Amino acid sequence: MIRGPLRKAAACGLAGCHTCGRVAPVALGRCPRCDTRLHLRKPASVQRSLALMIAAAALYIPSHLLPVMTVVELGDVSHNTIISGMLQFWSDGAYPMAIVIFTASILIPFLKIVTLCWLCAAATGRVRPSPAMLGKMYWFTELLGRWSMVDIFVLGIVVSLMQLGNYMTITPGPGALAFAAVVVLTMFAAMSFEPRMLWDRLDELATAPDPNTSQPKS
Amino acid sequence: MTTKLSRIRIAMLPWPKPPGGPRFAACHFCDTLHEAAPVPEGVAARCVRCGALLYQNRPASLVRASAFSLAALLLMVVVHLFPFLTMDAASLRRHLTLVGAAMALVDEGSPVLGVSIVLFTMVAPVMLAGGLVYVCGPLLFGRIAPGAVQVAKWMHHSEPWNMVEVFQLGVLVSLLKLAKMADVHFGIGFWAFTGVMLCMAAAVAGIDRDELWDRMEVAK
Repeated sequence: MIRGPLRKAAACGLAGCHTCGRVAPVALGRCPRCDTRLHLRKPASVQRSLALMIAAAALYIPSHLLPVMTVVELGDVSHNTIISGMLQFWSDGAYPMAIVIFTASILIPFLKIVTLCWLCAAATGRVRPSPAMLGKMYWFTELLGRWSMVDIFVLGIVVSLMQLGNYMTITPGPGALAFAAVVVLTMFAAMSFEPRMLWDRLDELATAPDPNTSQPKS
Repeated sequence: MTTKLSRIRIAMLPWPKPPGGPRFAACHFCDTLHEAAPVPEGVAARCVRCGALLYQNRPASLVRASAFSLAALLLMVVVHLFPFLTMDAASLRRHLTLVGAAMALVDEGSPVLGVSIVLFTMVAPVMLAGGLVYVCGPLLFGRIAPGAVQVAKWMHHSEPWNMVEVFQLGVLVSLLKLAKMADVHFGIGFWAFTGVMLCMAAAVAGIDRDELWDRMEVAK
């Protein structure tokens, strides 16, 4: 390990490859090992993340208001949203399932949008977070987003099994498409986010003089 | 006999050091620069500043990664031969398969969702497991497969889109949803896909990204 003060790769003109992790001079342009383009920081990461988050937030509303599945049972047509499906589990007494659906479909996408917006604010220096907090939040956005896809899989399974002719048929609704888009967009937003920017901001705050304690020059 | 022995020795060779002076590792989270010192088997190197994982030396990594990913690929064939769930309702018997779930969404007017099921539960896992077999298999014998660098890149890109375990949770949720209106049973496909899930997790955790790329570089 390096002794003495810690240095950043970027301060030495070195970049870790996004794909293979090889540390190489950024001046090379491309990774000498896997030919991926080298960047000190992912380009326009905050703008890309925010743009994808805004799109996801806009689709989050119709994904819960529009029906995800239409059930035709003996001629009766009913439209189910994600929330009504969850409430159905709850009223049937299947509490663990209601909690799984609530977490995966309602809570995780919402928290992911809020967390990523907060991380973008931290990356541009608008909020002052603690490093431990940042680590947890980034881990959360990286790992948990994919589990929201469970609702789309349930839809595919139920639609596939419930084709019982006149007795009962289930068809997918427009809400499902919006919901899948929310999941995929938040995944792309998390991927384009650059966590190293958070630490750049922390270092700037640590080296810059605190305006409250520094003496004004007379 | 001697060739056989030397092949086994290559497969069990420790993490090689690529030529060309000291190597560095930059923390992917805080960008702190470290000298990439070799670590003993079973030990992980962590960032001195933020504690994020830099790299880890897994025991028997090449053997594990190729064996588990090959097992996952073989189980994926089984998955497509048997149903996940069998449902008896209204004197009808219906079977659930992966392709069936995707086709049902396409047929009922949501082709995009059908394609997303194909991508997340079939294409991405096959790319990940197939890529690991293709890259790690020849590396066992100290050789590099043609185009292995490109395959390894695709493999890394497909990793976050592999949602085998999420689909399995979906099967469990659907089972409970349908259990009150019909008689639903697990099929061999479900257990085979659970096997795929476990094998993929073991294969991906079996070899470190840095070790895989260092081995590819040395074998070149």
